[in-house]
Amino acid sequence: MYTLTETQIDFILDDIRRNGIELEDLQLNLLDHICCIVEQNLEDNGDFEQFYFSTRKMFYKHHLKEIEEETISLMTYKNYYMMKKIMMISGTVSVALMTMGIVLKFLHMPGAAVGIVLGVGVISFVFLPLMFLLKIKEQNNLKDKALTGLGTLAAICLTLGVLFKVMHWPGANMLSIIALVFLMCLYLPVYFISGIRNPDTKTNTIVNSVLIITACGLILTLVRSPQGTKILEAQITSDYVMKDDLLKSELELSKSYSLPDSIAIVADGKKVFDLCEKMKEAILLSETGNKTIDPNFSTEQQMIGLTDFHQFISDFPQANSAYTALKNSIDDYNSKYAKAGKNIHPLVFETSNDRDFKSHDVLNRIVVMQMFLLQNVRKF
Amino acid sequence: MNYSSELIKGTLKTIILKLLKDNSRMYGYEITQKVKDLTAGKIQLTEGALYPTLHALEADGILTTETEYIGKRVRKYYSLSSEGNKVSDEKVSEFADFINTMKFLLDIKTDIA
Repeated sequence: MYTLTETQIDFILDDIRRNGIELEDLQLNLLDHICCIVEQNLEDNGDFEQFYFSTRKMFYKHHLKEIEEETISLMTYKNYYMMKKIMMISGTVSVALMTMGIVLKFLHMPGAAVGIVLGVGVISFVFLPLMFLLKIKEQNNLKDKALTGLGTLAAICLTLGVLFKVMHWPGANMLSIIALVFLMCLYLPVYFISGIRNPDTKTNTIVNSVLIITACGLILTLVRSPQGTKILEAQITSDYVMKDDLLKSELELSKSYSLPDSIAIVADGKKVFDLCEKMKEAILLSETGNKTIDPNFSTEQQMIGLTDFHQFISDFPQANSAYTALKNSIDDYNSKYAKAGKNIHPLVFETSNDRDFKSHDVLNRIVVMQMFLLQNVRKF
Repeated sequence: MNYSSELIKGTLKTIILKLLKDNSRMYGYEITQKVKDLTAGKIQLTEGALYPTLHALEADGILTTETEYIGKRVRKYYSLSSEGNKVSDEKVSEFADFINTMKFLLDIKTDIA
């Protein structure tokens, strides 16, 4: 029986490592195995090196590294199929959920948001990451893997960006911008340049690039341009100014037949009117920085924007209390005067809970209400 | 006569699990020697097939390991986990069934004497 020296053991271990075995467990197993063979089969005065190399040769067909490759592939084999299965299932589930959500949304039925959120969530957090992991397993060089990672990240940002936009969650624009910048400025150029050089992938690269540009282009056509926003805001502002002008002239007229405050409806009407003015001022202040708008406003200055009304009152507690006070006074007014048989027009101030409900919608409704307030006094 | 590697490949797991069932704990070299002894050299496990399978079985939780220092080197002993015990039985009975089916399929006459 041959006795191995420490130097020889180190030599074997080094040789195993040099030949591409990187898993430590496997290194140790092979080392022990080879040592056993040498100790059992080599005679005391035998040639260690020659025996070692001929033994090592029996371990593989071409390279020693085959053992490590086989080990890794066996260990990931099971996972691989499981991941593929989950990817397929999650893809199907998310498509089904999204379809359900979109159909419900068009029918204006409850459950639409749940379907869309879950559908996009599954595709962003299960399907796309798994697709990425499976894809990089097939790719050998780091550049391809990085490119796939970048593409996946951009795709996730894009799906989430659209989801956030639909759900009116904050950060939607940021996500979409990140996605589009990643896609158009980083992913696409690298993908295109590396793909077009290879004759095998040339056609595919061109087709895919055209598809990516078309998809991004379509998304961008749906986005309102800054100029478009400005025009829309100018329209909203001039609409409001026109209505408010009408109200002011009605107010002037009403002074000619003003009734004393001792009449209840006059006093109560004034109370509601004042609260209306306060609410308008609060909205205008936050939208334009001024409490009133000059009828000859110029489009250069701040105009009435597209703020969500519910966002606005949750951001400003003062506005919220003004809003509550106004609602209460309207309810009070309606219950006192707008009874059947009397010729008093009830004040309608429904603020929909819809997230699309904007501050300028509220401004317009308030002005209409104020007109009715003035007319109700005249009718009295 | 040595069996073809395809035949061995399909039965390697079963062989390992059965050996570990009978011998509580073994290391890689020991397994190859045991198989060689028991089959009078007819089945010789290759290292290139044995170790990947051992590592995969360990990763699946079918085998547990303990290490011992033998002088400067480390020896890794494999034994069945509780799940491995079950799997071992299943594999052996599955294979027994397979043999019967193959006998019938290939019309092999066994020598009863």
